[in-house]
Amino acid sequence: MTFGKATAWAILGLAFLFYATPILWLLLAAFRDEPMLFSSGPFSIGSFEMFGQTWTNLTTYNDFQIGRWALNSAVYTIGGVTLSLVAVLPAGFVLATYNFAFRKAILVLTLIAMITPNTVVALPIFLQMQAFGLNNSYIGMIIATAFFPFGVYLAYIYYATSLPAGLIDSARIDGASRFEVFTKVALPLSKPLIALVAFFSFLANWSNYFLAFVLLTKDELYSLPIGLAVLVSSSGALGNDVASDIPINKPEAIVAAILVILPVLVLFLASQKYVRSGTLSGAEKG
Amino acid sequence: MAKAKTPNSDPKKRRRDDRFFVLAMLSPYLALLMFFGVAPVAHALLLSFMDTIDWVFWGFTNYKFVLEDFRLTEAIMNVFSYVAIWLTMMVVGIAGLALLLDALPRRPAAILRTSFFLPGAITSSAIVILWLFLLDPAVSPYGGLFEALGWENRRQVVGHLGYPLVFALMAYLAYSGGWIVVIGGALKGISGEVIEAARVDGATGVQIATRIKLPMVWRSLALMAILSFANGIQMFVEPQLMALAGSTYSRPDWSVNQLAFQYAFNLGDFGASAAMSSMLLGVAIFISLCVVFGTRFYKMD
Repeated sequence: MTFGKATAWAILGLAFLFYATPILWLLLAAFRDEPMLFSSGPFSIGSFEMFGQTWTNLTTYNDFQIGRWALNSAVYTIGGVTLSLVAVLPAGFVLATYNFAFRKAILVLTLIAMITPNTVVALPIFLQMQAFGLNNSYIGMIIATAFFPFGVYLAYIYYATSLPAGLIDSARIDGASRFEVFTKVALPLSKPLIALVAFFSFLANWSNYFLAFVLLTKDELYSLPIGLAVLVSSSGALGNDVASDIPINKPEAIVAAILVILPVLVLFLASQKYVRSGTLSGAEKG
Repeated sequence: MAKAKTPNSDPKKRRRDDRFFVLAMLSPYLALLMFFGVAPVAHALLLSFMDTIDWVFWGFTNYKFVLEDFRLTEAIMNVFSYVAIWLTMMVVGIAGLALLLDALPRRPAAILRTSFFLPGAITSSAIVILWLFLLDPAVSPYGGLFEALGWENRRQVVGHLGYPLVFALMAYLAYSGGWIVVIGGALKGISGEVIEAARVDGATGVQIATRIKLPMVWRSLALMAILSFANGIQMFVEPQLMALAGSTYSRPDWSVNQLAFQYAFNLGDFGASAAMSSMLLGVAIFISLCVVFGTRFYKMD
């Protein structure tokens, strides 16, 4: 092995340790109780009994409130992803395949919306939602998270580079209407795009913290990331300066954190090839 | 007898139908763009020039007020220190690891790529909670390292590393894996013939990586840097949730975003909050558009 190759493998080995250690520790720690977390090595394996006790503590807290938060997150996420797909795919299609007035302006606005800090829009969105009575509501959260300009960018790039213009022309000559070209030609060819937009939209919605933090004040409507923070904060599970009689300690905080990341972890495993093949398939043009 | 209609039979009608179709297809997105993009930004700009208690126009008073807040300079320095560290880690780490993976045989590359990708699932409040454990020598898998450095508890670890580096590490672990996969996908798209020709011409692995592959994916790296920058300057969750470890770690005004949040939701001063947010937006748009049009990576036509 040459010096260069050995260096490359050493860098990759260190990187592997950096990336794999936290997630491995987290998954193993779920099977340990509080004394064992402190007394045994960081990668020691606990038992299913310890996990069971932790799970019981977590699920009996406030009548399985964390389950309610998980359900809320699922509703917000499924609703947000579905609505964003409905808005993103047709928009990306016409932006990529039609020339019309304000097309460039819409693309620039989309780009600006992608980079606009949350904090700029959070307060006005909060006030707008309040005016419409949509704060602290499922529908309000779903509509707010359905706005996904990055998805329009992805759809625009995909249709501009992966949908041959000749195919659209042929379909039109064969008598297909404009809408049929979209539904019967473009959409069936959009599976990688749909998977990609759904992946990023799911990720953005499931892990959304700031908007949910601003729009939701009722604890029964909290999403899982907000609920996790509230749970850990109210129990003082991670601190040394707050005394609490809530049965939520470090192991419960770990298992609750795993609950937050588990759906995303599964999605990551299932979708890596789409992210690899689709995201920037057109971004190298020019 | 009715004249047969084909898609091209009447140019005027075709253009009219085109316009109607475009509008129909765009309307769901345009409605969302207006309601959650354009209107809130316009609203924020309007609020920033108003006394939001008596609802009267008072020019730049809100801007003057927040610029005189001694916490703002510190918050800006905090955020820029964090963004500088994080962006450097992202560009160097992602480009380096993606290029190294691209040079590996398929199977080990796939295993390593997956291991880099998976921590991206840990986001939002979960990543802060995970790192509060990782930074605690009593339970951390890095406990031995901290012990060797003489750092005995979490306070010492955080104190020595500093908040910008701690947050940069959190964000790097959460976001870099996805981009390594994305850049890896872009590298995969480079023609094998080009690489082979370079190899025949005597180019080494390092030369192929730095002089052929890297220039061909720089637009993707630029996109990553822009999105990361925009994401970085609006940091909120990480400093806000450090308080989960106790009041010692609480930093409610560490970032500009947190300050804006405090003005709006703790002090009820929507005008000051909007002024701070608008300045943040100005910076984000200015720098991002400079990079976008400077590099011409976002070709629209």
